[in-house]
Amino acid sequence: MKRSLLFFVLLLPLLYLLISVQSANDPIKYIFTCTGISSLIILILSLSLTPLKKIINLIKYRRMMGLFSFFYALLHFLNFYILDAQFDVTFVLKETLDKPFIYLGMIAFSILLFMAITSTRKLFAKFNKWHKLVYIVLILVVIHEAMAQKVLGNLEFMFIFMTIVLLGYRAFLFRVKWLKKKK
Amino acid sequence: MTIIKKPDWYISENEVTDEALFNKRRNFLKLGAAALVSSSVIAEKLAAVENVKRESLKFQKTTFGKGLELNSYDQASTYNNFYEFSTSKSDPAKMAHTLKPNPWDVEILGEVENPMVISLEDIYNSYPLEERIYRFRCVEGWSMVVPWIGVTLSHILQKAKPTSKAKYVKFTTLVDPKQFPDQKAGKLFPNIPYPYVEGLRMDEAMNELTFMSVGMYGKMLPNQNGAPIRLVVPWKYGFKSIKSIVSIELVEEEPLNTWKMINDLEYGFYANVNPNVDHPRWSQAKERKLGSFFKTETLMFNGYEKEVGHMYKDMDLRRYI
Repeated sequence: MKRSLLFFVLLLPLLYLLISVQSANDPIKYIFTCTGISSLIILILSLSLTPLKKIINLIKYRRMMGLFSFFYALLHFLNFYILDAQFDVTFVLKETLDKPFIYLGMIAFSILLFMAITSTRKLFAKFNKWHKLVYIVLILVVIHEAMAQKVLGNLEFMFIFMTIVLLGYRAFLFRVKWLKKKK
Repeated sequence: MTIIKKPDWYISENEVTDEALFNKRRNFLKLGAAALVSSSVIAEKLAAVENVKRESLKFQKTTFGKGLELNSYDQASTYNNFYEFSTSKSDPAKMAHTLKPNPWDVEILGEVENPMVISLEDIYNSYPLEERIYRFRCVEGWSMVVPWIGVTLSHILQKAKPTSKAKYVKFTTLVDPKQFPDQKAGKLFPNIPYPYVEGLRMDEAMNELTFMSVGMYGKMLPNQNGAPIRLVVPWKYGFKSIKSIVSIELVEEEPLNTWKMINDLEYGFYANVNPNVDHPRWSQAKERKLGSFFKTETLMFNGYEKEVGHMYKDMDLRRYI
């Protein structure tokens, strides 16, 4: 029951996008923004579950949230390939090799794709160590989002702040572990 | 001898309330009503009503842009880059009621024989207004087609008589924290440094296409589109077309324009529309015309190569972005 409610909530950005895109002045750009921001926010929320564990344990929802973050990243990529590049593979490759803005996003998307594929129970058992790469994804996506702006605004500063908090928490845990080992 | 018997209701012409004053009082009353309810929603609605009431202008039609498919007034007036209000594209239309475009003066100074201050009235009355349909291409990759109303910049500059030292023209936007919220003193991170400054080389400024616009779609400019007077340089990226201008200065040296000052690796002084030279972060080969799900090819000099190409024939356009 709770699971299907979460599923529905995570679909809301898509429903909102489908309704509002019809009146958007710059539809392609609008789809980029909606799918990209949705993917990043869900990614940040899913990564917040670990530090929140001590207060409320929601870890069982982490996989679904991660997959939804990938789902919106996939729509974001398809928008680039279908509407923006109009199926021009050469253009997509050229842009990806040429422009840091694009390849940062592409690298992040590739890692998310890998994580989505290896998220089944069987494969996760084998590849779960590699899922730590999600922190690289977070950094890349925050930079990618900032690069999509002409000047940085409140949203960008908020994403940077959240990244520092989430990574800082892990670094702190890592240090505590390391100090214990040393003793 | 004729005796004029005045009826009881007669008042002389000089007792009649001036129309502008009459409207002012009405606005004041409306504001009072809004203050009572104390809701910004109402203020916004009133502002929207004011926008609809923009006066019609008298102008001559021209053949500029004949055959181009216009964007709607709604599109052109709800998708605006106006960082003095906000970096969002939809916010300026909601916030721009704080800008007061009337009365307004533009100062023309610097290397001229006739420094002058021209008022809006001067422009409406002493220059023939014409309508020109131009393509407008933003550096971000979107574009639109707009019927502007205004005068050729060279007509205005000629009256000021530039001296032989005048090599460039520097344009400056109004600075007034009361009218532009992002200019508030003590704001920690303004969107961009103020005042907004743009510039043109003298030959560019004197080109027939270079236009000072005071209106669009038959009426005065809406505030969010740069009321009451803005530059329109159709073969350059939109950020060159500076809004709400208060001064035009003729200068000897190339002025440092705002976007070049912010990031000179990505934005230059010339900013000519060029599908062959990409922005470092995105391609400029195609554009997204507002309202369309499909992209179209971007044209060299935004389709005005015949009129302006000769000014750049000896320049390396990869270097002079």
